Formats: sequence, structure tokens, C-alpha cells
Amino acid sequence: MKVLSLYVERDTFIHRLEPITKLLYALISIVITFLFPSITVGAVFVASSLSLAISAKVFKRMILLLNVVLIILLSIVIIQGLFYSKNATPVFKLWGLTFYKEGLLYSLLLIVRVVNMIISFGVLILTTRPSDLVDDLVQKGLSPRFGYVLASVLQIIPQMLSTTSTITDAQRSRGLETEGNLLQRFSAFFALLGPLVLNSLVEARERAMAIEIRGFGVEGKRTFVREIPETKADRWIKVALYVVFTVAVVWRIVLWIM
Amino acid sequence: MDNVSTLSAKISIEHLTYRYPFAKNRSLEDITLSIDAGQSIGIIGRNGAGKSTLCYTLSGLIPRFFHGKIEGSIKIDGEDVPTMSVEKLIRKVGLVLQNPFSQISGAKMTVYEEVAFGLENLGIEKDEMHERIDTVLKQFDLYKKKDKNPFELSGGQLQRLAIASVLALQPEILILDEPTSQLDPCGTTEVFEAISQLKTLGITVIIVEHKFEKLVEYVDKIALLNDGKLVKYDTPEKIFSMPQIEDYGVGQPIYTALCKRMGLKKPNGYYPVSFNETVTLLSGLKMYE
Ligand SMILES: Nc1ncnc2c1ncn2[C@@H]1O[C@H](COP(=O)(O)OP(=O)(O)OP(=O)(O)O)[C@@H](O)[C@H]1O
Ligand SMILES: [Mg+2]
Repeated sequence: MKVLSLYVERDTFIHRLEPITKLLYALISIVITFLFPSITVGAVFVASSLSLAISAKVFKRMILLLNVVLIILLSIVIIQGLFYSKNATPVFKLWGLTFYKEGLLYSLLLIVRVVNMIISFGVLILTTRPSDLVDDLVQKGLSPRFGYVLASVLQIIPQMLSTTSTITDAQRSRGLETEGNLLQRFSAFFALLGPLVLNSLVEARERAMAIEIRGFGVEGKRTFVREIPETKADRWIKVALYVVFTVAVVWRIVLWIM
Repeated sequence: MDNVSTLSAKISIEHLTYRYPFAKNRSLEDITLSIDAGQSIGIIGRNGAGKSTLCYTLSGLIPRFFHGKIEGSIKIDGEDVPTMSVEKLIRKVGLVLQNPFSQISGAKMTVYEEVAFGLENLGIEKDEMHERIDTVLKQFDLYKKKDKNPFELSGGQLQRLAIASVLALQPEILILDEPTSQLDPCGTTEVFEAISQLKTLGITVIIVEHKFEKLVEYVDKIALLNDGKLVKYDTPEKIFSMPQIEDYGVGQPIYTALCKRMGLKKPNGYYPVSFNETVTLLSGLKMYE
């Protein structure tokens, strides 16, 4: 069975960082790009996130991730270029439609924000084993129940996808149309939904029982099989991130007052 | 006299009756039986007979997971199961379920970490954790797979992983509820080989299984359930030699069926249940009379 996972196993400095350090970078860089309505600030963070992706050797995978949102980005440009409320200065015409400077600049701002969001989170996701991220958070006080949900969502989705294909195969071999015109496919989808939901419900109950008898509900000290160390580098990076964040917030407040 | 045997038993169940919440009928009715330490017990009965329900009561899932009213008593080492602390109970009883896929925690990325799941929950120290994981993985021939994602394993391997994960918690009693019913013959053989190791570990084993030829090789006694009631609790040969065994919808080992048809009984008056017994019996016959 093929296991889908976004995580790319490599041995780089970024991979070795503590998951929370990377999470902190993602969150802080995103907040800052949204604090300042400035394309330059956004571009700086895009560049920094991108260089992290490159040094983690996950650039190719990152491009694939960005490809997924390409359509959305393009539609932002078109919609804002044409219909942004402050549009005043026409730039060019395409098929009789006028694009405006204000809208295009605004869409650029949105794009750098979204792209930074994807790349900075992408660095986290592509270079961190999901279960390490969860373990790290649980060790820092996240509720184990919530941690379990997070970890299992990351793990069970691939399994559900493969169940889907098993059921589709089973139904197809019994003569159900899973290809063909839209209506046929639509009804095939509903035929799939029944067993999938039922299966998932039964499995969810069994899984709940199975983890309960392996002590999941036991309150008290827990231990962790994988060491997730906070290195010196992590500590320095975190300090630097907090400093940058504080400066950004103060600066923003100053700009706002003046 | 009765009291003495109850005290020395590992598990003692007395007049156990249970009904699921909102269910019309009782799933277990007035069950009384006792199991000694180190014994292997089979539970058989037709669909809906109450086999799983009995397993859930023994492992404490009833009443902790499934509520509903329990009457009578169920004790392990003289202590009441329904009121025992969860932590203590987990160290006493392990349970392996039917579906290999739904038993893995689903939160771990490798076989090794999957086994660690239960140990982490119980807060087992790290050194001991590694030691226990290595031991069970080697025991169930999964050590080479330790870095694989559990979702990549075959059904038989997954079921062995489920057994290993439960055994890592070092329970004194292991309950297996139809552990091979969703496996192909290959996976079934794998799992039965794993189960036969349990006996050497001195663990008390309770197993629900429909593959009687395999089951009889392994268990000391069988409990036959029907409609939530205990029909008979005895050795395999006595259970399957019952004239009315067919009425309970459980079938019988192919060897027993064969010998019944041929009218062949062992010197003790019961029909053989296993391959070896049958061979011994048949080779004792004079071929040309
Ligand atoms: N969660 C539940 N709620 C209500 N009734 C239940 C529940 N689970 C089982 N039952 C009922 O309890 C009875 C015993 O079920 P149980 O699952 O113990 O049977 P079983 O012997 O394990 O059968 P099978 O061979 O199908 O696994 C059945 O009549 C069943 O319908
Ligand atoms: Mg059952």
C-alpha cells in the first residue's frame, strides 16, 4: 500500500531543527506580513522562507505545493485587477477588459502574503515528521487527546484514500459505473459514500477501543520514545524570532500612532 | 470447596449478566466459569452468541467503554474488574481485536513507534521502553520491519504488530477476539505461530476463534456460548463429542466430523479433535479384516 506523506526525509540543518522552532518561524513570519500592508515586507519574507526551503533541499516539492494554489493566485490577480474598489489608473487592456494599477498592486500584496504562508508552513511540513511535531507540542503542554487527533489526521487520511480506492475497485468489479458522464460518476460517488462512512464509523469505534486498552485514557506522566531535543541553535533562533516579532509589533504601533 | 477453587483461579466469573444500553435482550446471561493462571481457553459460539461481549467484560471495556448494567461478578486475582483502576487493569489484561487495520493507533509513523504508543501512555521509562519494544518485535518476527510505516504492512503482519503492541505492556492475561477472521491462510498461519509462543511465556490466553482445527491444537478448555448463555465449559474433545453440538451452529473440527461419520472413538469414549489424534486412531485400525 502506498503511503502518502508530505514529509521529505533529508539530513539538513533545517530538518534537525526542533519542530516548534519551525512552527514559530511560520507563525511569526505570517503575522508580520499581515501586520504591514507592504509588498516589500512580504517579498522579504518570501525570499527568506524560500531560502530556507532551498537549504532544506525541498525546493522541488515546494514548487509542487505552490502549483496547487496557482489557479487561486491567478484568480486573485484577475479579480482584484478588474474589480478592486479603489481602482483608478488603467494599465492595460485584455479582451476588452481593463486592468487597473491599484488592483494589481493589491493583488501582488495578497500574493506575497499567501505565498509566504505556503512556503513557511511548507518548510515546516516538508522537513518535519508529523509525529515529531505532535510529540513536541504534547511535551510542551498540548493535550495528548488533541495531539492524537492531529497525528492521526495526518496519518489516517492516506489510509482513507486507499480505502476509497479499494471500495471503488470492488464496486467497479461488480459493474458500478465509476467512469463515464457526470451523472453516472455522481451516483457512483454516493454509492461509495455509504460503505466509506459506515466503514469509518465502525473502524473509529474499534480504534477508540484499541487505544483505550493500550492506556490512552490513563492520566499521569507519559514518556516519549523519540527524543526531540531543543538545541543551542533552536534557542538562538527562537530568541531572534521573538526579537524580530517584538520590533515589528512596536514599529507597527508607532506607524499607527503617527 | 467451591470457595477454594474460586480463590486460586486467575479469573473467576460468577452469575455474570450483561445487557448493552438500549438493547432489548441480554448479551450475557448468568455465566459462571473460572480460568486458572497459564491456561489457554477457547470461546466458541455462533454469531451473536456473546463471545465478543464476554471479551469486553473481561478486558474492562464493559462498563468503561460500553455502559449498561452488569450483574454478578467478574474478578481477576480476586479483584473486581469493573471497579479496578484502568492502569492496573491494563497491566493485567490485554485485548487483540478482529480487524488488524483499526487496531493500530494511526498516530505513529513506524512499527517501532507504534509498539511504543501504549508504553508512552503508561509512562514507562525510556530504557525499559526500548528493551521491551526490541523484545516483542523480535519475538513476533517484526524486527526487520521496525522502520516501516504500519500502513504498509500486510494483514498478518499488522495483526502480529497488534499482538506485539499489547504484549509490550506485559499483561498477565491476553484475550484475542477472532484474531484471524480477516486474514488469508498465510496470515492466519503467521498469527497462530505467534499465538503458540504465548503459551511458553506463561500468559493466560483466551481466544475466540472459528478455525477449530487450529484452536484445538492450542487450548486446554473451550467455553461454548449460545444466546449469551454458557452451554458447556470443558475440554475440546468433550465439547465436540456432544451429540447436540450441531444445534449450536458452530460446526466442528473436520477430523471430529470424519471420525463421527466413521464411528471411531478414542479409548476414553470421546471423538478425536486434532489431526494427530486422528492419525493415531486410524493407524491403529487393522486395514484388512
Ligand atoms: N454495542 C452493542 N449494542 C447493543 N447490542 C449489542 C452491541 N454489541 C453487540 N450487541 C448484541 O449482543 C449480542 C452478542 O454480540 P457479540 O458481539 O458479543 O456476539 P459474538 O458472539 O461476538 O458474535 P460474532 O461471531 O458475530 O462476533 C448480539 O445479539 C448483538 O446484537
Ligand atoms: Mg464477535
